[in-house]
Amino acid sequence: MSKRLNPYVTAADTMKPLIALEAAIKESGLEHSLIHLVKMRASQINGCAYCLHMHSADAIKEGESPARLFLLDAWHESALYTPRERAALAWTDALTLISETHAPDEAYEEVLRHFSPEETVKLTLLIGTINTWNRIAIGFRTSHPNDRPAKTAA
Amino acid sequence: MTQRLNAFQTAPDAYKAMLGLQDYVNQSKLEHSLQELVKIRASQLNRCAYCLHMHIADARKAGESEARIALLSAWEESELYTPRERAALRWTEELTRLTERSPSDDAFAELREHFSEQEAVDLSVAIGMINVWNRINCGFRTRHPNDRRREPAAA
Repeated sequence: MSKRLNPYVTAADTMKPLIALEAAIKESGLEHSLIHLVKMRASQINGCAYCLHMHSADAIKEGESPARLFLLDAWHESALYTPRERAALAWTDALTLISETHAPDEAYEEVLRHFSPEETVKLTLLIGTINTWNRIAIGFRTSHPNDRPAKTAA
Repeated sequence: MTQRLNAFQTAPDAYKAMLGLQDYVNQSKLEHSLQELVKIRASQLNRCAYCLHMHIADARKAGESEARIALLSAWEESELYTPRERAALRWTEELTRLTERSPSDDAFAELREHFSEQEAVDLSVAIGMINVWNRINCGFRTRHPNDRRREPAAA
Protein backbone atom coordinates (compact mmCIF):
# COMPACT_ATOMS: atom_id res chain seq x y z
CA MET A 1 0.00 0.00 0.00
CA SER A 2 2.08 2.97 -1.13
CA LYS A 3 1.01 6.55 -1.13
CA ARG A 4 0.11 8.06 -4.51
CA LEU A 5 0.56 11.78 -3.81
CA ASN A 6 0.30 14.24 -0.96
CA PRO A 7 -2.55 16.65 -1.76
CA TYR A 8 -1.32 19.18 0.83
CA VAL A 9 1.97 19.49 -1.03
CA THR A 10 0.62 19.09 -4.55
CA ALA A 11 -2.32 21.50 -4.24
CA ALA A 12 -2.00 23.38 -0.97
CA ASP A 13 -4.32 26.23 -1.97
CA THR A 14 -7.04 23.85 -3.05
CA MET A 15 -6.94 22.08 0.29
CA LYS A 16 -7.18 25.29 2.36
CA PRO A 17 -10.95 25.86 1.95
CA LEU A 18 -11.59 22.22 2.85
CA ILE A 19 -9.60 22.67 6.05
CA ALA A 20 -11.58 25.86 6.76
CA LEU A 21 -14.86 24.00 6.23
CA GLU A 22 -13.70 21.30 8.63
CA ALA A 23 -12.88 23.94 11.25
CA ALA A 24 -16.32 25.55 10.80
CA ILE A 25 -18.05 22.21 11.36
CA LYS A 26 -16.02 21.58 14.49
CA GLU A 27 -17.18 24.94 15.87
CA SER A 28 -20.74 24.56 14.60
CA GLY A 29 -22.24 23.68 17.97
CA LEU A 30 -22.91 20.03 17.14
CA GLU A 31 -21.69 17.95 20.10
CA HIS A 32 -18.19 16.59 19.53
CA SER A 33 -19.17 13.08 20.58
CA LEU A 34 -21.76 13.06 17.78
CA ILE A 35 -19.30 14.49 15.25
CA HIS A 36 -16.85 11.67 16.04
CA LEU A 37 -19.52 8.98 15.70
CA VAL A 38 -20.65 10.33 12.33
CA LYS A 39 -17.07 10.53 11.05
CA MET A 40 -16.30 7.01 12.23
CA ARG A 41 -19.46 5.58 10.67
CA ALA A 42 -18.90 7.17 7.25
CA SER A 43 -15.25 6.07 7.34
CA GLN A 44 -16.33 2.51 8.13
CA ILE A 45 -18.72 2.44 5.19
CA ASN A 46 -16.11 3.90 2.86
CA GLY A 47 -13.33 1.72 4.29
CA CYS A 48 -11.00 4.63 5.09
CA ALA A 49 -8.18 3.41 7.36
CA TYR A 50 -6.57 6.84 7.67
CA CYS A 51 -9.80 8.48 8.86
CA LEU A 52 -10.71 5.59 11.18
CA HIS A 53 -7.26 5.78 12.77
CA MET A 54 -7.53 9.54 13.29
CA HIS A 55 -11.10 9.69 14.53
CA SER A 56 -10.98 6.66 16.80
CA ALA A 57 -7.91 8.16 18.51
CA ASP A 58 -9.59 11.61 18.77
CA ALA A 59 -12.82 10.14 20.11
CA ILE A 60 -11.08 8.05 22.76
CA LYS A 61 -8.98 11.06 23.79
CA GLU A 62 -12.23 12.99 24.35
CA GLY A 63 -13.67 10.23 26.51
CA GLU A 64 -15.67 8.11 24.08
CA SER A 65 -15.96 4.46 25.13
CA PRO A 66 -14.26 1.80 23.02
CA ALA A 67 -17.51 -0.20 23.06
CA ARG A 68 -19.43 2.62 21.35
CA LEU A 69 -16.73 2.89 18.69
CA PHE A 70 -16.34 -0.84 18.10
CA LEU A 71 -20.07 -1.56 17.90
CA LEU A 72 -20.70 1.29 15.50
CA ASP A 73 -20.89 -0.98 12.45
CA ALA A 74 -23.94 -2.50 14.14
CA TRP A 75 -25.37 0.68 15.71
CA HIS A 76 -28.80 -0.29 14.46
CA GLU A 77 -28.77 -3.42 16.63
CA SER A 78 -27.44 -1.79 19.79
CA ALA A 79 -29.00 0.50 22.41
CA LEU A 80 -25.65 2.14 23.23
CA TYR A 81 -26.65 5.14 21.12
CA THR A 82 -29.19 7.84 21.97
CA PRO A 83 -32.24 8.41 19.74
CA ARG A 84 -30.57 11.62 18.49
CA GLU A 85 -27.39 9.72 17.64
CA ARG A 86 -29.37 6.96 15.95
CA ALA A 87 -31.15 9.51 13.76
CA ALA A 88 -27.79 11.03 12.81
CA LEU A 89 -26.26 7.61 12.09
CA ALA A 90 -29.21 6.60 9.90
CA TRP A 91 -28.78 9.89 8.01
CA THR A 92 -25.04 9.21 7.73
CA ASP A 93 -25.70 5.75 6.28
CA ALA A 94 -28.32 7.15 3.89
CA LEU A 95 -26.15 10.00 2.58
CA THR A 96 -22.95 7.97 2.39
CA LEU A 97 -24.66 5.25 0.39
CA ILE A 98 -26.70 7.81 -1.51
CA SER A 99 -26.49 6.06 -4.89
CA GLU A 100 -28.31 3.13 -3.28
CA THR A 101 -30.64 4.89 -0.82
CA HIS A 102 -31.51 8.21 -2.48
CA ALA A 103 -31.90 9.67 1.04
CA PRO A 104 -35.32 8.27 1.97
CA ASP A 105 -38.05 10.42 3.60
CA GLU A 106 -38.10 8.12 6.61
CA ALA A 107 -34.48 8.88 7.47
CA TYR A 108 -34.95 12.60 6.86
CA GLU A 109 -38.05 12.82 9.04
CA GLU A 110 -36.27 10.99 11.85
CA VAL A 111 -33.45 13.57 11.69
CA LEU A 112 -35.99 16.41 11.96
CA ARG A 113 -37.48 14.82 15.07
CA HIS A 114 -34.13 15.18 16.86
CA PHE A 115 -32.38 18.10 15.13
CA SER A 116 -33.43 21.67 14.39
CA PRO A 117 -33.45 22.59 10.69
CA GLU A 118 -30.21 24.51 11.24
CA GLU A 119 -28.59 21.54 12.95
CA THR A 120 -29.83 19.34 10.12
CA VAL A 121 -27.89 21.44 7.64
CA LYS A 122 -24.77 21.29 9.84
CA LEU A 123 -25.11 17.53 10.19
CA THR A 124 -25.56 17.10 6.46
CA LEU A 125 -22.48 19.22 5.76
CA LEU A 126 -20.54 17.18 8.33
CA ILE A 127 -21.50 13.98 6.52
CA GLY A 128 -20.57 15.45 3.17
CA THR A 129 -17.22 16.67 4.47
CA ILE A 130 -16.12 13.38 6.01
CA ASN A 131 -17.11 11.70 2.75
CA THR A 132 -14.78 14.13 0.97
CA TRP A 133 -11.93 13.39 3.40
CA ASN A 134 -12.53 9.66 2.90
CA ARG A 135 -12.28 10.09 -0.85
CA ILE A 136 -9.08 12.11 -0.62
CA ALA A 137 -7.41 9.71 1.85
CA ILE A 138 -8.46 6.57 -0.02
CA GLY A 139 -8.01 8.03 -3.48
CA PHE A 140 -4.43 9.10 -2.77
CA ARG A 141 -3.74 6.20 -0.39
CA THR A 142 -2.72 8.36 2.53
CA SER A 143 -1.10 6.06 5.09
CA HIS A 144 -2.22 6.32 8.68
CA PRO A 145 0.42 6.69 11.43
CA ASN A 146 1.84 3.41 12.73
CA ASP A 147 0.97 1.78 9.44
CA ARG A 148 3.66 -0.81 9.07
CA PRO A 149 3.46 -4.20 7.44
CA ALA A 150 2.48 -6.70 10.11
CA LYS A 151 5.02 -9.52 10.20
CA THR A 152 3.14 -12.47 11.60
CA ALA A 153 -0.07 -12.96 13.46
CA ALA A 154 0.12 -13.22 17.23
CA MET B 1 -34.88 -2.79 20.62
CA THR B 2 -36.16 -5.79 22.58
CA GLN B 3 -35.14 -9.41 22.23
CA ARG B 4 -37.64 -11.40 20.18
CA LEU B 5 -36.96 -14.81 21.64
CA ASN B 6 -34.13 -16.72 23.28
CA ALA B 7 -33.08 -19.13 20.56
CA PHE B 8 -31.09 -21.33 22.88
CA GLN B 9 -33.81 -21.77 25.50
CA THR B 10 -36.32 -22.38 22.74
CA ALA B 11 -34.24 -24.95 20.85
CA PRO B 12 -31.38 -26.25 23.01
CA ASP B 13 -30.66 -29.07 20.55
CA ALA B 14 -30.02 -26.55 17.79
CA TYR B 15 -27.66 -24.72 20.12
CA LYS B 16 -25.81 -27.96 20.95
CA ALA B 17 -25.35 -28.80 17.29
CA MET B 18 -24.00 -25.32 16.61
CA LEU B 19 -21.62 -25.56 19.54
CA GLY B 20 -20.38 -28.88 18.17
CA LEU B 21 -19.41 -27.27 14.90
CA GLN B 22 -17.97 -24.24 16.69
CA ASP B 23 -15.83 -26.60 18.81
CA TYR B 24 -14.43 -28.09 15.63
CA VAL B 25 -13.50 -24.63 14.37
CA ASN B 26 -12.02 -23.59 17.72
CA GLN B 27 -9.79 -26.64 17.78
CA SER B 28 -8.65 -26.27 14.19
CA LYS B 29 -5.10 -25.13 13.57
CA LEU B 30 -6.22 -21.64 12.53
CA GLU B 31 -4.54 -19.15 14.85
CA HIS B 32 -6.85 -17.63 17.44
CA SER B 33 -6.04 -14.03 16.49
CA LEU B 34 -7.04 -14.78 12.89
CA GLN B 35 -10.27 -16.45 13.96
CA GLU B 36 -11.24 -13.38 15.97
CA LEU B 37 -10.49 -10.99 13.09
CA VAL B 38 -12.65 -13.10 10.79
CA LYS B 39 -15.50 -13.16 13.31
CA ILE B 40 -15.32 -9.41 13.86
CA ARG B 41 -15.22 -8.63 10.13
CA ALA B 42 -18.20 -10.86 9.31
CA SER B 43 -20.12 -9.36 12.23
CA GLN B 44 -19.34 -5.87 10.94
CA LEU B 45 -20.68 -6.76 7.50
CA ASN B 46 -23.78 -8.37 9.00
CA ARG B 47 -24.09 -5.59 11.58
CA CYS B 48 -24.43 -7.96 14.51
CA ALA B 49 -23.95 -5.96 17.72
CA TYR B 50 -24.11 -9.03 19.97
CA CYS B 51 -21.33 -10.84 18.11
CA LEU B 52 -19.21 -7.69 17.80
CA HIS B 53 -19.46 -7.09 21.53
CA MET B 54 -18.46 -10.68 22.31
CA HIS B 55 -15.61 -11.06 19.84
CA ILE B 56 -14.08 -7.65 20.39
CA ALA B 57 -13.98 -8.41 24.13
CA ASP B 58 -12.46 -11.85 23.41
CA ALA B 59 -9.91 -10.42 21.00
CA ARG B 60 -8.87 -7.67 23.44
CA LYS B 61 -8.54 -10.24 26.23
CA ALA B 62 -6.26 -12.29 23.98
CA GLY B 63 -4.05 -9.25 23.41
CA GLU B 64 -5.34 -7.87 20.11
CA SER B 65 -4.59 -4.15 19.63
CA GLU B 66 -7.27 -1.47 19.64
CA ALA B 67 -5.98 -0.13 16.32
CA ARG B 68 -6.29 -3.47 14.52
CA ILE B 69 -9.89 -3.73 15.74
CA ALA B 70 -10.83 -0.10 15.05
CA LEU B 71 -9.40 -0.20 11.52
CA LEU B 72 -10.80 -3.57 10.53
CA SER B 73 -13.63 -2.03 8.47
CA ALA B 74 -10.86 -0.58 6.30
CA TRP B 75 -8.37 -3.49 6.43
CA GLU B 76 -7.82 -3.27 2.71
CA GLU B 77 -6.42 0.26 3.11
CA SER B 78 -4.14 -0.56 6.05
CA GLU B 79 -0.91 -2.51 6.46
CA LEU B 80 -1.67 -3.53 10.03
CA TYR B 81 -2.67 -6.98 8.76
CA THR B 82 -0.39 -9.75 7.51
CA PRO B 83 -0.69 -11.08 3.95
CA ARG B 84 -2.22 -14.24 5.43
CA GLU B 85 -4.75 -12.22 7.39
CA ARG B 86 -5.56 -10.10 4.33
CA ALA B 87 -6.25 -13.23 2.28
CA ALA B 88 -8.53 -14.52 5.04
CA LEU B 89 -10.34 -11.19 5.40
CA ARG B 90 -10.91 -11.03 1.67
CA TRP B 91 -12.27 -14.59 1.71
CA THR B 92 -14.48 -13.64 4.67
CA GLU B 93 -15.99 -10.80 2.65
CA GLU B 94 -16.47 -12.97 -0.44
CA LEU B 95 -18.28 -15.70 1.53
CA THR B 96 -20.31 -13.28 3.64
CA ARG B 97 -21.53 -11.26 0.64
CA LEU B 98 -22.60 -14.24 -1.46
CA THR B 99 -25.78 -12.45 -2.49
CA GLU B 100 -23.77 -9.77 -4.29
CA ARG B 101 -21.57 -12.01 -6.39
CA SER B 102 -19.97 -15.42 -6.40
CA PRO B 103 -16.55 -15.70 -4.76
CA SER B 104 -13.91 -14.70 -7.27
CA ASP B 105 -11.07 -16.84 -8.63
CA ASP B 106 -8.69 -14.07 -7.58
CA ALA B 107 -9.77 -14.25 -3.96
CA PHE B 108 -9.47 -18.03 -3.96
CA ALA B 109 -6.03 -17.93 -5.56
CA GLU B 110 -4.88 -15.43 -2.91
CA LEU B 111 -6.34 -17.65 -0.21
CA ARG B 112 -4.42 -20.67 -1.50
CA GLU B 113 -1.16 -18.70 -1.50
CA HIS B 114 -1.40 -18.47 2.28
CA PHE B 115 -3.56 -21.39 3.36
CA SER B 116 -3.32 -25.15 2.74
CA GLU B 117 -6.41 -26.86 1.33
CA GLN B 118 -7.25 -28.18 4.80
CA GLU B 119 -6.91 -24.67 6.25
CA ALA B 120 -8.99 -23.21 3.41
CA VAL B 121 -11.83 -25.56 4.35
CA ASP B 122 -11.45 -24.86 8.08
CA LEU B 123 -11.48 -21.13 7.41
CA SER B 124 -14.56 -21.43 5.19
CA VAL B 125 -16.37 -23.40 7.90
CA ALA B 126 -15.33 -20.75 10.44
CA ILE B 127 -16.73 -18.02 8.19
CA GLY B 128 -19.92 -19.99 7.71
CA MET B 129 -20.27 -20.47 11.47
CA ILE B 130 -19.96 -16.80 12.39
CA ASN B 131 -22.50 -16.06 9.67
CA VAL B 132 -24.90 -18.49 11.39
CA TRP B 133 -24.34 -16.84 14.80
CA ASN B 134 -24.88 -13.43 13.20
CA ARG B 135 -28.18 -14.57 11.72
CA ILE B 136 -29.45 -16.09 14.96
CA ASN B 137 -28.47 -13.07 17.06
CA CYS B 138 -29.63 -10.40 14.60
CA GLY B 139 -32.79 -12.32 13.68
CA PHE B 140 -33.93 -12.72 17.27
CA ARG B 141 -32.35 -9.47 18.48
CA THR B 142 -30.20 -11.04 21.20
CA ARG B 143 -29.06 -8.17 23.44
CA HIS B 144 -25.40 -7.77 24.12
CA PRO B 145 -24.23 -7.23 27.74
CA ASN B 146 -24.17 -3.59 28.90
CA ASP B 147 -26.76 -2.77 26.26
CA ARG B 148 -28.64 0.05 27.86
CA ARG B 149 -30.26 3.20 26.65
CA ARG B 150 -27.94 6.13 27.02
CA GLU B 151 -28.78 9.53 28.33
CA PRO B 152 -28.25 12.28 25.76
CA ALA B 153 -24.55 12.54 24.98
CA ALA B 154 -22.50 15.27 26.59
CA ALA B 155 -21.51 18.15 24.33
